[in-house]
Amino acid sequence: MFRTTLLASGMALALLAAGPAVAQDKPPVKIAAIVPQSGAGAFDGQLALEGMQAEAALVNAAGGILGGRKIELVVYDDKGTPEEGVSAARRAMEQDKVDMIVGGWFSAVALSMKEVTRDKIISVMTSSQHPDVTAKGHKFLFRLNATSNMMSSKYGQEICARIKPKSVAFITINDDFGRLEVDNYTKLLGACNVEIKGNEFYNRNDTDFTVALTKLKSLNPDAIYVSAINTSQGATIYRQARQAGFRGTLIASAGNMNPKLIELAGPALEGVYSISLYAPDSDNAKLKAWTEQYGKTFKNQPAFIGTLGAQAVQVLAAAADKAGTANDPDKIAAALRSQTWPTLLGEIKFEENGQALQNLYLIRVEGGKIVSIK
Amino acid sequence: MDWTLLGQQLANGVVNGMNYVLISTGLTLVFGVLRVINFAHGEFYMLGAFLTYFAMSALGIGYLPAVLLATVAVGALGILVNRLFFWPLRKEHEFTVLLSSLGLALLVTHGAELGFGHDPKYLNSPFTDDILEVGTIVLTQQRVLIFAAAVLVLAATYAAIRWTTFGRMMRATAQNPEGAALTGVDIRFVHTITFVLACGLAGLAGALVGPVAMIFPTVGSWAVLKGFIVVILGGLGSVPGALVGGLTLGVVEALAGGYVSLGFMEAIGYAIIILVLLWRPQGLFGSVAR
Repeated sequence: MFRTTLLASGMALALLAAGPAVAQDKPPVKIAAIVPQSGAGAFDGQLALEGMQAEAALVNAAGGILGGRKIELVVYDDKGTPEEGVSAARRAMEQDKVDMIVGGWFSAVALSMKEVTRDKIISVMTSSQHPDVTAKGHKFLFRLNATSNMMSSKYGQEICARIKPKSVAFITINDDFGRLEVDNYTKLLGACNVEIKGNEFYNRNDTDFTVALTKLKSLNPDAIYVSAINTSQGATIYRQARQAGFRGTLIASAGNMNPKLIELAGPALEGVYSISLYAPDSDNAKLKAWTEQYGKTFKNQPAFIGTLGAQAVQVLAAAADKAGTANDPDKIAAALRSQTWPTLLGEIKFEENGQALQNLYLIRVEGGKIVSIK
Repeated sequence: MDWTLLGQQLANGVVNGMNYVLISTGLTLVFGVLRVINFAHGEFYMLGAFLTYFAMSALGIGYLPAVLLATVAVGALGILVNRLFFWPLRKEHEFTVLLSSLGLALLVTHGAELGFGHDPKYLNSPFTDDILEVGTIVLTQQRVLIFAAAVLVLAATYAAIRWTTFGRMMRATAQNPEGAALTGVDIRFVHTITFVLACGLAGLAGALVGPVAMIFPTVGSWAVLKGFIVVILGGLGSVPGALVGGLTLGVVEALAGGYVSLGFMEAIGYAIIILVLLWRPQGLFGSVAR
């Protein structure tokens, strides 16, 4: 009796072990997903990872890549800090032997992580906007998001041509990014005769902006340009601008419009413009498939940062297929540079330094939804 | 000189100042009576805001009942905190107590990140977006509510300390705990109630100020920082000091932010700490509780 039980359980075990082995006769392609899972960027990291997971599920459901290999995402927490990002990239390469890396959601993380991955492994940097990520990148580094300069030159044109304020005042964060924004738009908007009425810098930890907004409102500008990366600060600024009695146009900085912001800022965000790579109402079939898959698995509203994660998986899967390998970075890099790729955000092409050229859409919040202005 | 702008900035400053007063009163009370520097004070502010949020979304009750509920709940939490942390540590060195409170703050913040999620939330008060125009000055009803509630609560606290038996027990404990115990004051009871009062005040502040901005688990560190600037300015342990200190900080920030530079606003708080510690270390009001 004992022997038969043992035999039976042994057979059951063998069956269990054999089950997945049959399905996975080919090893998975391992992609490291290095995202912030704790700290201030944790929520953005969650949205980004969900985007990647939804896309990987789509690719796998369609039979995987390279003749039936599945994509496996290996997840690391970079805590939004350069040190942890570097350590995660090391672990991914040395211990887990991943084939490719997706990370670099924040510029500071991307800038230090690229030194560890330099000329060793295909690294796709995602939402970071600092020019140096690609300007001082390496031969296997690619970056999806437009740089802040690329965004502002396009956005400047759109503001001049379509939003057409007579005068504008800025409220911007007191750091490199905020200063760059003010310089760029003072030049760009000055060139089309928009009067610049003033600028207020706020600090990273501020929670009340009434004083600044009172000051800006008293300058009586046609529009206020709000530069806020941090969603909770952004939402507070839009609300308090309306609470301070400002009734003019509000313009959100490029790439900083997302469903969470709409949820938090509520009616204050109605009619606010921004510019984005992601137009949720686009009729792109790949975007529709991804949005549907995302909605099936996750509770959150799909956000721009999630589409970037999905785009990273999409181009890596396609390029690996074209190169016929998942771990020869030379061949994959050559494949990535070789053609225009159709993705969920539209067609994308990589420059020689790895910078992606993407479509930018003028968007606006209407009826609590992000719509593109055609 | 644009008088409308000046009036508006003064109004902004006074209202923000009242936020600070509400936050720092509990902090100064705990120090004045128990000699405890409580770094976890901001966490009770955060909990006040989140409990209001969850009371509204989970129980479906209105904003004002939710504020009351959250205040009472955070106040009750004061009993637990005193029993588990501060009462057992009362004979330890001040630094031990201070470090423990820092540990408590981290524990609560990270617990909140796990329990409430990392994403910021908006505490929806019906008064936030309604504008009240007094002459040329624009204020939201929520800000007027904060101001009124702060005045009421502060007056009640001050009256309780000055004129009730329990207030006398508190002051006796502050002056000399052993002497008070010898004359029959229940020190443990005083400790408990002081914490209940302090935590409740912090919770109320969070519940009222929460809707003005967004709430997130680390919002307490902002609150405790402002609280400390105010109590150092006004004098650790002094309730009138917290009032004057809070209003001063609010108005100075608004005027400096409005007329010099906003980037400078944050620095002003720190500059005040340094100046006060250099020239008047006991704060503007010293300590009336002693």
